[in-house]
Amino acid sequence: MTNPLTRATAVVRPATGLIPSLGGASRDRLTTTLQYVGLAVVLVLLVALPYLGLAPYYVNITTTTLCSALLAASVNFLLGQAGLVSMGQAGISTVAMYGVAWGFKQGWDLGGQLLLALVLTLVVSAIFGIVSMRTSGIYFMMVTLAAGMLVFGLAYSMSSITAADTGISVDRPGDLNSRFNYWQWYYLALAVFIVGTAILWVVSRSPFGASLRGIRDSESRMRSLGYNVAAYKVGAFMISGFVAGMAGVITLWNNKLVTSDSASITNSTLPIIVLVLGGVGTLLGPLVGAIVVTFFSIIMPSFFERWETLLGVVFILVIMFARAGIVGGLGRLYRWIRRRTGGSVRTPDVGTPVPTSNHRTTA
Amino acid sequence: MSMKMSARGRIAATAGLGVAAALSLAACAPPGGSAGTGASSTPLATGTVKVGFIAPLSGPLAAVGAQFQQGWDYYWDQNGFTAGGVTIDVVGVEDDAADTQKATAAAQKLVEQDGAEILVGSIASNTATAISKYAADNEIVNIEPISASNDFTAENANDYTIRAGSQAATQTSYPGGEYAAKELGYKKALTLCTDYSYGWESCAGFAQGFTDNGGTVETQLWQPNGNTDFSALISQVVGSDADVIYFGTAGGAYGPNFLDSYLKAGGDVSKLFFNSSAADVATLQAATKAGYGDQIVGLYSSGYYAEGADAPEAAQEFVTSYLKDNGVIPGQYAAGGYFAASLLAKVFSEKGLVTGPDLVKTIQGFTFPDSIYGSVSWDSKNNQTSPVYIRQVEKHDDGQLYNDVVFTYDAVDQWNGRDEAKVIASHPFDKSNQYVK
Repeated sequence: MTNPLTRATAVVRPATGLIPSLGGASRDRLTTTLQYVGLAVVLVLLVALPYLGLAPYYVNITTTTLCSALLAASVNFLLGQAGLVSMGQAGISTVAMYGVAWGFKQGWDLGGQLLLALVLTLVVSAIFGIVSMRTSGIYFMMVTLAAGMLVFGLAYSMSSITAADTGISVDRPGDLNSRFNYWQWYYLALAVFIVGTAILWVVSRSPFGASLRGIRDSESRMRSLGYNVAAYKVGAFMISGFVAGMAGVITLWNNKLVTSDSASITNSTLPIIVLVLGGVGTLLGPLVGAIVVTFFSIIMPSFFERWETLLGVVFILVIMFARAGIVGGLGRLYRWIRRRTGGSVRTPDVGTPVPTSNHRTTA
Repeated sequence: MSMKMSARGRIAATAGLGVAAALSLAACAPPGGSAGTGASSTPLATGTVKVGFIAPLSGPLAAVGAQFQQGWDYYWDQNGFTAGGVTIDVVGVEDDAADTQKATAAAQKLVEQDGAEILVGSIASNTATAISKYAADNEIVNIEPISASNDFTAENANDYTIRAGSQAATQTSYPGGEYAAKELGYKKALTLCTDYSYGWESCAGFAQGFTDNGGTVETQLWQPNGNTDFSALISQVVGSDADVIYFGTAGGAYGPNFLDSYLKAGGDVSKLFFNSSAADVATLQAATKAGYGDQIVGLYSSGYYAEGADAPEAAQEFVTSYLKDNGVIPGQYAAGGYFAASLLAKVFSEKGLVTGPDLVKTIQGFTFPDSIYGSVSWDSKNNQTSPVYIRQVEKHDDGQLYNDVVFTYDAVDQWNGRDEAKVIASHPFDKSNQYVK
């Protein structure tokens, strides 16, 4: 039996990072440099993508990938920082989609559509947060699952507003509807993706993020230190929900359609599959996971009908051999190589305990 | 330490954003892109037309998706890929798994990678709407041979989407209600449909046809979508004093499971009236397999397709040869695929190569007199106007069950004799909005 207090001190993990921590606890210069170089390469690749001679179709597929990656990133924030598995995230993103789509149907301008989406997203995120703030673990999963299903049910039954499973069609903003504008649309989606990811990253690096990690590692300890754990959870849900809403808006514009199925259980569990594949708690995990899932679910079916089986096999393999996901697994591989070659690497999972003085600045 | 870290974080984030913004602002059109909008796809003058086919080949609708594809393939196998001077090049068959994101990706692949000028498909109303929207935005013709969703040939009609191979849900079920009230003389009805748009629209059509002809719908029950166990509702259905029980669901396990529970509870088959997909061939075969096939002889349904006696001549020929070659009687999903293929061939052989909006206009003014559905034409909203058959299950000499035609309503359009604007104003039908106001 471990004393929860001492255990908590030992496992305050480094902040969310790249492979696996970007400028986190590791004071190893080379590692840090490599991580920034890696991030820069990914960013440059993403920005230069339409110019790499790829067919427009593959640029479109990348846009689709960015949409699911951003939704996964919002789940990643809750899971990686606060240790909470949200099973209803597609419910929040769907609410944002309906906000824009309903505004569009009424003939509102873009600002009005986005404002409605923002208000709806924040209200629904707050509701999600409030109903789930006293729970954790499996109960949190069940409560968020139920809340997500509630959105699905409402979208299904309020068909005079939502048009149920037939859905509401919208136009993309600006003049980006035609397939010949694929690259402008890609850049818009990329910009939203980068902003969303940056928001989550900045919040993760803040004292607020540190407090969330404290809650993740020992809720009872944080409570005894005087933190209002429930309020932190609601706050985390609002931030995650905001980004999920951003993901919803670009997903809506990408498909130009929202239906009640957008909030289905499949769409809520998909970000978790993406995350487990990519690597929970890593900055690039959602993107890498989304690339893998998109490959199997969109590119593969043209060649092989049993793509679901293949994705399942890959999922099992990742869980068996790389429990930290692809990005996390790469990080471990890197550390293993460094150790073998005699480099000094700090143990990854036991970072420097965050000084309590930092916590004080948060409230 | 915390200060230093977050400052560094901010700098990196800002730098990343700056790079992205600068590059995207400075961006000129990459290869294959166009800075302007709406560059149109010009029709090919070579006599070849490229067609892409989308169906749910995995996921919950995989079974009907496969039938749809078999019907489509069967036409081309039988008749070859040329019609008049036009060669039909089927550039790809894509799976949408009944998911909108995959449907959009499938449409993108077929059009942008494979050069398709016509998209055929798909089945579920969400994927059909997604494909229809993509097609309209990119000036690609979209033929919808299965989807029965009212919307996309009513308030969401566009210049590029044509329903050809099926009817709107209310369009097919309305004559069923009319027949039950007028010809069968029923006064009181109970309806049981699945609780989603196709079920709502099916029941709405029947309820409207029934009440417009003097009947009263006393009870409307709704089965949760995806739940094929009817034990919770069956006692209410069997115990009801209604003259007719209308049952409207999609294909699959609903029809057989309902019939099974209904018969076990002592229900009377002569009181039942099904929509077209619930009484489709697959249901009849499942009933035969489960051993109660003989008990459902006489079951009424209304459909735009019939495979049994007194069906149009072309349908009978199609059924006979399909049965011989594939060993199964083609149901309405196979018929939808076959019809779409035969329509394209017919139009090209008569009108030569037409693509883009011209093809839609050509089909709008076209009459297909000897199709497997009988004489078919199209209205100004691109919806199919065609006969509705009142069908009864009959056992044929080969020992199999068929839907025989007992009555035909010719040239039924989607307004069912009402004012177009009034019907559209009453859309969308749902369980609390079943009638035209």
